[in-house]
Amino acid sequence: MPEKENEMTGQESLKLISEMIVKAKRSYITTGAASIVWGILIVICSLLTWYQIYAQVSFGFDVWLLVFVALLPQIYFSIKEKQKKNFVGHDEKIMTYVWSTFAICIFILSFYNSKFGDNNGNSTALFMLLYGIPTFITGGVCNFKPMITGGLICWILSVASMFTNMATDMLFMAACGLFAWLIPGIILWKRYKKQQTADV
Amino acid sequence: MAEENFSPQESFQLIQSMIAKTRRDMSDNSIYFLLWGWITFAACTGQFILKNVVHYEKHYLVWLLVIPGVIFSAYLGMKESKKREASTYIGDSMKYLWMGMGTSFFVLSMILSKMGWDTNIFPFFILLYGLGTFISGKLLQFTPMVIGGLSAWVLAVVSTYFNYDYQMLFGAAAILISYIIPAYMLRSKNKHITA
Repeated sequence: MPEKENEMTGQESLKLISEMIVKAKRSYITTGAASIVWGILIVICSLLTWYQIYAQVSFGFDVWLLVFVALLPQIYFSIKEKQKKNFVGHDEKIMTYVWSTFAICIFILSFYNSKFGDNNGNSTALFMLLYGIPTFITGGVCNFKPMITGGLICWILSVASMFTNMATDMLFMAACGLFAWLIPGIILWKRYKKQQTADV
Repeated sequence: MAEENFSPQESFQLIQSMIAKTRRDMSDNSIYFLLWGWITFAACTGQFILKNVVHYEKHYLVWLLVIPGVIFSAYLGMKESKKREASTYIGDSMKYLWMGMGTSFFVLSMILSKMGWDTNIFPFFILLYGLGTFISGKLLQFTPMVIGGLSAWVLAVVSTYFNYDYQMLFGAAAILISYIIPAYMLRSKNKHITA
């Protein structure tokens, strides 16, 4: 079918651009699921570690290995989303850069941790500091205040953890997972569902 | 005001030119990379000399150099914000990225003041240098910055095999590769385009 070139007014062009932005945002909204998965995992791992310290018990394995389990649904969600999409928005590209960089940094930080032990029990501060960075950037770029707040909470708790013991640090870590990912993820998911209903 | 008609192609070109403009605007901001690059480079090498050559006990005081850097950056930022005509998507993304990085370095310095200055923290600093540069390079689609970021991560890993004294030199090398060299390249590319 030959493509007919429609003339657009300046206003229509702007409308097209904003529609593209909305469309790209909507596809990002679906990743609320990924945010929920990460949030739940961080909360669970932190609380399990806290319980081990508090009750002085050992589960016999490193509970943080569960984080790697998150990779499977993450990969599943991203492949599923990629299949659905007909174009990749600029903000989505930015988010991919930000979160893949975060993944690399978490990997390097884990290596750093394995080399220097727990840095006198202060490694949780460094992890929380790192959690704050992509969360804050995502919140800013997508103009999504719950994530900006989540990022700021991570940084505040990172500093606060320097004055507390390991058990409390784990509660702080759980709070980071809750405020940086789980709550924003639930908000995104609800918005997405609402949007889906409106589209029908 | 008369309403102009755009073909879809022209609309696309308009978007492309906006992206190109943002890239040029960001190239102008290489001053921040150079300012912070040279301050950090001077602090890393300065601390190494003070600790290992001069044997000065309070070698970490060299990091007070960042205070004039913060003041000068704030001044530049205020001057820039008055000049800026319109914000763009990449511009906003860069703003949030570097706001995040700035806050992280501030938080890290607070953590460090509690941890003690002889902690093996340089690999983590280098990791953060790489993070900011890698994302910036991707946003600006500027390969030397992406390579700089990747190199910083390699240096972050390698530096963990050395003791604190030599980690400072790795910090200096990382800042040279990830901030200073790409910033000069960005600047010269920008000059070349505008000439």
